[in-house]
Amino acid sequence: MGTVIEYLHKAFDIVDGEPKFVLEDVNLKVQDGEFICILGKSGCGKSTLLNLLAGYLKPDKGRIVLNGEEIDGPSADRGVVFQQHALFPWYTVRENIEFGLRLQKRQDTKEMATKLIEMIGLQDYEHAYPVELSGGMAQRVGIARALAPDPAVLLMDEPLGALDALTREAMRQELIRIWQLSGKTIFFITHSVPEAVYLADRVVILKEGRVEADVAIDLPRPRNMRDKAFQDYVDSFARMIAETETEERAVCAE
Amino acid sequence: MCRMKDMSYVDELYIAPCVQGDLLEEEEIVPRKYEEARRAKVDKFYKALALFYFFCIWEFISYLNVRGGWFNPVFLPSPVTVVETAYEYLLNGTLVLHIGMSFYRMILGFLLGVAGALVVGIMIAMSRTWDNLLSPIINMVGPIPVFAFLPMFLIWFGIGEASKIALIAYATFVPMLIYIIGGIRETDPLLIRSAKSLGATSFQIFTKVILNSAMPKIFEGMKMSLALTFSALVVAEMMGASSGLGYIIVNAKNWFKMADMFLAATLIGLEYTLFYAFLTLVERRLFRWKMAGSSNAVEK
Repeated sequence: MGTVIEYLHKAFDIVDGEPKFVLEDVNLKVQDGEFICILGKSGCGKSTLLNLLAGYLKPDKGRIVLNGEEIDGPSADRGVVFQQHALFPWYTVRENIEFGLRLQKRQDTKEMATKLIEMIGLQDYEHAYPVELSGGMAQRVGIARALAPDPAVLLMDEPLGALDALTREAMRQELIRIWQLSGKTIFFITHSVPEAVYLADRVVILKEGRVEADVAIDLPRPRNMRDKAFQDYVDSFARMIAETETEERAVCAE
Repeated sequence: MCRMKDMSYVDELYIAPCVQGDLLEEEEIVPRKYEEARRAKVDKFYKALALFYFFCIWEFISYLNVRGGWFNPVFLPSPVTVVETAYEYLLNGTLVLHIGMSFYRMILGFLLGVAGALVVGIMIAMSRTWDNLLSPIINMVGPIPVFAFLPMFLIWFGIGEASKIALIAYATFVPMLIYIIGGIRETDPLLIRSAKSLGATSFQIFTKVILNSAMPKIFEGMKMSLALTFSALVVAEMMGASSGLGYIIVNAKNWFKMADMFLAATLIGLEYTLFYAFLTLVERRLFRWKMAGSSNAVEK
């Protein structure tokens, strides 16, 4: 069934009597189990797109359909991982992961949580509170918590953005492993071009609220950032994003 | 001076390799955290000692006063006299009555005030309509000193317990309300978003996210309001009561019994301290999640 985004428009302000669109005429079709990276500079509307997918925002025009149902507000079928881990500070690691399961009153809450804790390798920390975790650990708990209620898609808003370079590298590999294990559809927002090329099945480049490019990455996994083919993707994407900047500069010069 | 410094530096360097081997064998490595815990215990001891000193100095001054005849000793009774007075009260059976009555009024008024503030605070913080209807009134009436209302409370609720407890409850209610509304409104919207995306209903978000997040602030409010609760208690007992620690003070004033006044004041202080300590204890137990990772800004 997959996710379908049709004719999506979103504006926050009205300038000179015209709505100033943050997203304008965005159309996307995503298959189940695909890893989609949404790439763009800050202010290109990528976070807005994710918030619309999550249901925190409502489209002004157009619609988002997930498995045949139009999205209307947040729900447990779309798990979200935030840049700041957003764990509940008063719950331990285990309680955070069990949160979604308990709401569904599932019988196998404990076993499911144990499995997820093992998957993220934090067995020794299951009774620790979020303040006691490092940034990378907290983010892994965030991912496990989002996966727990078994959502159809996982939405990630620059989840690695707040991590240091070394942890980030390790988390990318971890993320691919988790994705392959769970088989979820993932929407992953990033402004790092190599990160997008490393992770994604498809990279969607947003530029000023429009889809600039939608490119499938045809590289075998695990990917090597030093490969020539990898670098070619990175260069071409970087050029696409940079073009806007030269245009902007030209406008400013006038 | 400068040369001296240089010399000592060289000396250190020179000696260091010889000593280091021994030092490593003998000295155990104790993480700073444990050292810090030990120090916290020592701190507690010193704090208890400070109280002891306070009474010693008080005793000493009144002793010197009696010896030196600086002023009438009745003005400053010594701690021993106060304890003797307490013993007298205990013997005629009224000490427990007075302490008990004060505690009963305080705890009932405090609980009613907190409960009322919880209900109204949640209404105001969660609903725009109630906010519009109630906030302007509370903003206008709230800042009026509680004690200005005492005569009105006496007329409305009579001279019995109701007026006193109502005043104490109201004195607790006003500051509590501000903390409760603040606590609820300060909830991180990101946490509400993530709870929604995990499938929580509005009611579940309220009970599992908003209340949990507001709780530390509510407790802080309880500790802050406690001082006002106690002032209201004493004032209420000073007007139209026949028991309680505030009553002892007024009654002692009429008979010029300074020791009784000091006794009552000390007991009020003690009751306050004990209840405050109790709240702190509950707070520590409840909010381990907050303290867990915290440490000194800089290790000492």
